[in-house]
Amino acid sequence: MNIRLPLAVCMLTMMTAFGEEDASAVTAEGRQFFESKIRPVLAEFCYQCHSSEEKIRGGLVLNTREGMRHGGDSGSAVVPGELESSLLWKAVTWSDSELEMPPKQKLPANAIEDIRRWILMGAPDPRVVDAEPVLTEIDVEVGRDFWSFKNPVKPKLPTVRNRSWPTSKIDRFVLAKLESNRLKPSVSTGSEKLLRRVSIDLTGLLPSPKEIEEFVAAWKGDPSAAYRQKVDELLESKHFGERWGRHWLDVARFAESSGKDLNVTFPHAWRYRDYVIDAFNDDKPYDEFIREQIAGDLLPMKDDEDWQENLIATGFLAMGPKGLNERNPRQFAMDLVDEQIDATSQAILGLTIACARCHDHKFDPIPTVDYYAIAGIFQSSVTHFGTVRAGTNRRANNLLELPIADEEPVKSYSGREIAAIKTRLKEAEQSFAEAVQANRRQRVQQAMRQNGRANGSTVAPANPLNLLRLRSTVAQLRARLEGMDENGDAKSLVMGMQDRRRPVEANVLIRGEVDKPAQKVPRGFLQVLPHTHSATAPSRDESGRMEFAQWLTSKDNPLTARVMVNRIWQQLFGRGLVASANDFGATGQAPTHPELLDYLAIRFMEEDWSIKTLIRELVATRTYRQSSAFDRLAHTKDPDNALLWRMPPRRLDAEALRDNMLLVGGRLDRDRPQGSLVAEVGDAAYGRQLRPERLERAVEYRSVYLPRVRDALPESLDLFDAADPNRVSAIREITNVPGQALYLMNNPFVIAQGEALARRLFREAESAEERVSLAYAIVYGRSPSREERASAINYVRQFARAAREFRDRRSRRDTAFLAMATFSQSLLASAEFCYVN
Amino acid sequence: MNPPSDLPPVSRRATLKSISSGFGYLAFAAMAHEQAQAETEAAPVNNPLAPKKPHFKARAKRVIFLSMRGAPSHLDTFDYKPQLKKDDGKPGKYARLRSNKLLGSPWSFARHGQSGLWVSELLPELAGHADDLCVLHGMHTDVPNHPQAQTQMHTGSFQFVRPSLGAWSLYGLGTENADLPGFVALNPPTGNAQQFGSAFLPAIYQGARFGSSQRRSGRRARGGGRSAVPNISNPRLNRDLQRRQLDFVQELNRGQLERDRYQPEIEGMIESYELAFRMQDELPELMDLADESQETLDLYGVNGRETDRFGRQCLLARRFSEAGVRFVELTHGNWDHHRNLTTDLPARCQEIDRPIAGLLTDLQRRDLLNDTLVIWAGEFGRTPHGQGGDGRDHNNKGYTTWMAGGGDKGGFRYGAADPHGYEAVEGKMHIHDWHATILHLLGLDHEQLTFRHAGRDFRLTDVHGQVASEILG
Repeated sequence: MNIRLPLAVCMLTMMTAFGEEDASAVTAEGRQFFESKIRPVLAEFCYQCHSSEEKIRGGLVLNTREGMRHGGDSGSAVVPGELESSLLWKAVTWSDSELEMPPKQKLPANAIEDIRRWILMGAPDPRVVDAEPVLTEIDVEVGRDFWSFKNPVKPKLPTVRNRSWPTSKIDRFVLAKLESNRLKPSVSTGSEKLLRRVSIDLTGLLPSPKEIEEFVAAWKGDPSAAYRQKVDELLESKHFGERWGRHWLDVARFAESSGKDLNVTFPHAWRYRDYVIDAFNDDKPYDEFIREQIAGDLLPMKDDEDWQENLIATGFLAMGPKGLNERNPRQFAMDLVDEQIDATSQAILGLTIACARCHDHKFDPIPTVDYYAIAGIFQSSVTHFGTVRAGTNRRANNLLELPIADEEPVKSYSGREIAAIKTRLKEAEQSFAEAVQANRRQRVQQAMRQNGRANGSTVAPANPLNLLRLRSTVAQLRARLEGMDENGDAKSLVMGMQDRRRPVEANVLIRGEVDKPAQKVPRGFLQVLPHTHSATAPSRDESGRMEFAQWLTSKDNPLTARVMVNRIWQQLFGRGLVASANDFGATGQAPTHPELLDYLAIRFMEEDWSIKTLIRELVATRTYRQSSAFDRLAHTKDPDNALLWRMPPRRLDAEALRDNMLLVGGRLDRDRPQGSLVAEVGDAAYGRQLRPERLERAVEYRSVYLPRVRDALPESLDLFDAADPNRVSAIREITNVPGQALYLMNNPFVIAQGEALARRLFREAESAEERVSLAYAIVYGRSPSREERASAINYVRQFARAAREFRDRRSRRDTAFLAMATFSQSLLASAEFCYVN
Repeated sequence: MNPPSDLPPVSRRATLKSISSGFGYLAFAAMAHEQAQAETEAAPVNNPLAPKKPHFKARAKRVIFLSMRGAPSHLDTFDYKPQLKKDDGKPGKYARLRSNKLLGSPWSFARHGQSGLWVSELLPELAGHADDLCVLHGMHTDVPNHPQAQTQMHTGSFQFVRPSLGAWSLYGLGTENADLPGFVALNPPTGNAQQFGSAFLPAIYQGARFGSSQRRSGRRARGGGRSAVPNISNPRLNRDLQRRQLDFVQELNRGQLERDRYQPEIEGMIESYELAFRMQDELPELMDLADESQETLDLYGVNGRETDRFGRQCLLARRFSEAGVRFVELTHGNWDHHRNLTTDLPARCQEIDRPIAGLLTDLQRRDLLNDTLVIWAGEFGRTPHGQGGDGRDHNNKGYTTWMAGGGDKGGFRYGAADPHGYEAVEGKMHIHDWHATILHLLGLDHEQLTFRHAGRDFRLTDVHGQVASEILG
């Protein structure tokens, strides 16, 4: 199958549709018609409320050509040749009860007919636009001198004094920097610690005591072979994708709700989450991974499965936070595009292009026109993000239907449930229609009274709140019906991108204001990047996302590979070679090892953008296998460890902390759940239909599958600095606050994991000594020292005794268990568990 | 294991063993940074949070920082610009494009108090405190983007990770209540940890956040007195048993610290456990407003439709300050009025007007205002020219913040922007100057308050900062 079918499209949002033709191209006939039939009507009936010289009701200006095309808060007033899309037509015919203009009295019939003819003839409008073009003061040529805009060059391998230390080229670069700063690398770390480190880094999960034993035994035979084999095993584990996919989800600001004021759910966002995890597990080449996310819907595909995956990938662009209560559709559309530019540029290019929305970028050579060149690409696309147009959600749109239905529908309705929904819908629709009628009668009457033509009786005013409520109910019920197939099974829907029927060129907006359009700019890319000239320009009949994706992933793009290898480096070494992972521009930080960065970027591309290959090489280095031992002298010289004189100790991230608490007690559910808690809830607003408690439901699968509702992350994630999905996250922040200590001491989840571990200890070991040893093996991956063991046993005894005193009615068994449970929890609350050395 | 050849000298092990609970753990940081420590001799080595002597006599003992995220318009609140009103509708000479017309404030201003300070009608209750306000009209900052400007306002730098103002204050002065964090952030925005962070200062100096995001204790905590503090008590163990458990946890942590030899994060963790343990007693009581009189609740607008949320925060701020917390920061958001200025700005002002006025009144009558520095600031201001007819754009070149109490001059205007309020022209105060002045009021010399990191001494003000001595009362 190789055709692209139009997907289920129920309702499109109104978007920019500037006339393509020039005002000077208006024919004499058109001019004549406008001047004699249209302008006088507008002047008499409309300008009073919709003119830049008088009032600008609803953001609509009708006394200029641009204003007319551009429209007001509700959308384009006039789309040449298209009656149905022209709000002006809807308004003057009073065909939409909520948009009846002029409000007090319909236009004369012949005027309405003239407007019809005029729109159909292409809405010729001879009025001249007088916006001054926005020019740039940036010299892009000069800007290209900045390091990150130049292509990486294959560096010469540096010479080092200590020639026996490096086991790889990467080590040579690191060592050379250390030596030139009179620093030495640390010794290599021991087998147990190394296993713990690499297991956490690659899968996010601790090795089991059995794995440790086997590894240590193999290590005694041939350390290198044992390690290599272990690394391969970890890379092949399905947990690899859960760990590394999550790193990308941080960058992709993945979330299952819109955030901002309304914060309504995205019940289908989880598909993108699973797509990302699978992509990492499949070692999808990074360039392909990016192309799919930017232009998956446009890529050639082998079969339905391929198509399915590519569509889901474009969810990347649909996932951003959205102010769905925005009244002005143009503002909303522009904000949406802006967010897409922002996410794409920071995530993939490490640049903040969105800074150029209102004026040239203040620090980087990115002129405003470049911003709008890219904006045109996104404006030529439709972002399907779903949600329900109800309440103050004014901007909902439809989702896409997937070519392959879910084997197991996310949700199913019984015949009775469906019938009930239909009945309620009918009732609601009727009440709504009645309320609208009442509202109209009242308005007309009021107008007549003002004109002194009132007759006696008055109509009771409709309650506007009631109207709003009814409309919401109708919308919600309809959405529920539309979301299921004829059998009552939830349709397999997805958030994602499609091209608009005809691409548009964006107008530069003066200071970013949607009602201040200046000149149009052709769609294109960033002029400062050297390969822009050779890139294929966006085609005339498609949005240009395809070409944009190719431009992003071109091997001549100096940023894409560098930015990604830096992210991977940062995950493994605690800090990027460029410390500002999302900013490779002038306000970012310069690389500590520029040659190494280039070496890795080139190598990454040569190895077909394979993430697993890169990670395998990085964890094999001697640099990675260093101990994390503290060195006073080195610390004085380089306290940030920017030069890597040791492996830095790192705190477990929020997900790993929770996952491993579950793991050690044997409670972790290693399987992927279908969908997510948010998918189960369906369309809902956080804090209204979706109660906060619902998201805290106890589940035992991995944390990457926990619900990610914006501004409402589960406590276990939020407290330990999980990425805020309102922005492209560069690196996890590490806070150290008493709230975390309170959580580890008092939270029922943590207490329960301590108990689970205690039960396991009782189950698997006989004596107190054995239990303590086993606990150390499970939680710390090592044996306790003699003192540690003695101290632990002593703690358990003393605690049990004290507990008996306080709880005299409790049995000896109860207190012994409590003691063991608090001992187990103590291990989970301790620094050694929370940190990887 | 390596031989511990590079252990820090002498009694570290002894020190470690001698501490059973309570303060003192950070002795460690001190040893790793002897040089820095030597420069701040006032600090007793064993207790990084114990109250420290300031460099000179402090005017303010504590700070309440009211952070207005999104950048409120100075032109419609505190900076009265009659010329702008006169030129309303004229082309704005400041914008690059002439299509942006000047927008005179749609609201009227009047003089208030004996000082005759101008305050807009949007803040009627706060206007009653005109004689307490020290208004800084010459503010300016480097970048007109929210994230960078917010970070710079908090840390002095928008580019690098640096300790926040609260962390520096705590580092400089310690705190007066060992059972509470010395730096408390109420209802902070999600993420943005850096703005409350300690960067390279020891972790114990970072802000403890309460009611973060809108979730737990935030948005819907109406009516009742008690604000939720999650996980504040143990469902299974009484205090004695919990202490036993915690002693064991700390023993494990100290063991790890000895093996690691130097690990500021683990020191922070140890401190944090002790603090958390003590907080269990004090915090629920402190956050429970049940013992406040109805009159006081009304004073802050608690339970008022618009004012409840911020009113509670302001009242909590007073309670925390009273309890000896050195630095309390409150956040109030949604001030970014590119559009709908005429509807949204009044709404925001209404939300803060009574709560802040109430806070000032309450501090005053408890005789706390003299030595409590209240700071009100957005990350920048807004443009004199309109945006889209009913909004204003970002403006970092000139804006207004104010301080009250804490030894500054009340009823005082310092500095000025040009007649349209676009650019600071007189009494110019960059964020560095502002920080220097705040530290000065706290009795700290911004040039002496340093911390050695990466081979050099860092300051909040980098190599800049001028104290605005004109505003000192």
